Amino acid sequence: MNKIKWTILASAILFSICSAFATRPKPLQSGLYYWNGSEYIAAGQMGVNYVCETSSNTCTFTYSDGVYTPYQTASNYTPIELKTAPSTKPTPKQEKR
Amino acid sequence: MSTKQVTLECVCALLILLFLYASISKFLDFKTFIDQVNNQPLPNSWTPFLVWAIPLVEIAISIALLFEYTRLLGLYAALIVMMIFTFYTGIVLLHFFPYIPCSCGGVITHLTWKQHLLLNLFYILISVLGVIQQHRKRFKPIFINNKHSFV
Repeated sequence: MNKIKWTILASAILFSICSAFATRPKPLQSGLYYWNGSEYIAAGQMGVNYVCETSSNTCTFTYSDGVYTPYQTASNYTPIELKTAPSTKPTPKQEKR
Repeated sequence: MSTKQVTLECVCALLILLFLYASISKFLDFKTFIDQVNNQPLPNSWTPFLVWAIPLVEIAISIALLFEYTRLLGLYAALIVMMIFTFYTGIVLLHFFPYIPCSCGGVITHLTWKQHLLLNLFYILISVLGVIQQHRKRFKPIFINNKHSFV
């Protein structure tokens, strides 16, 4: 009984460790870039300078050998200030005359 | 080994597979994991706590599930953690936050939020099954089918 138990559990441990190493992403050669409609610009730090929102676009790209490759797909690049501080200017009150 | 015992071992194996894979993946690409936690619509001040707490809890649950003495605790912990993840996925999908972050930060990066929700629900289901089986096994009356039984 113990033999079957430990065979099942050891297989799960081995498989999870191997698959974690096998699916490990390659380290980035350069920074990440986003497409602003006319050119690629350095994206900055995710969660600090920008967020990737769910959409059908590509949030960021990697750059290697003159080629930009989609990196974070199915999302949209959104600068962080658009998320946090809505620029609402206080409307001046009209003085009663 | 009875069918129920094999079922329980398979439930624990599936949970270990998920939690161990998730935690090792996070540690292998720790910088990306920090960015992905920052990308979530949660205060960035929580990030230093979350990036350590999440994978360490996942490893602790995996270890607890291995041993008979701690298995019930591990199963309850797995159930609670999966419920928290599912609750978070649910409120993200219900547009509770100002934006829906990309699901690129998940364990299985190619899954959408809805697919993540389904996976989480499946894991909640098997965790409940595991808790029930472990309770039955642990608190099984000793004298059943014995002529001195009180049952």
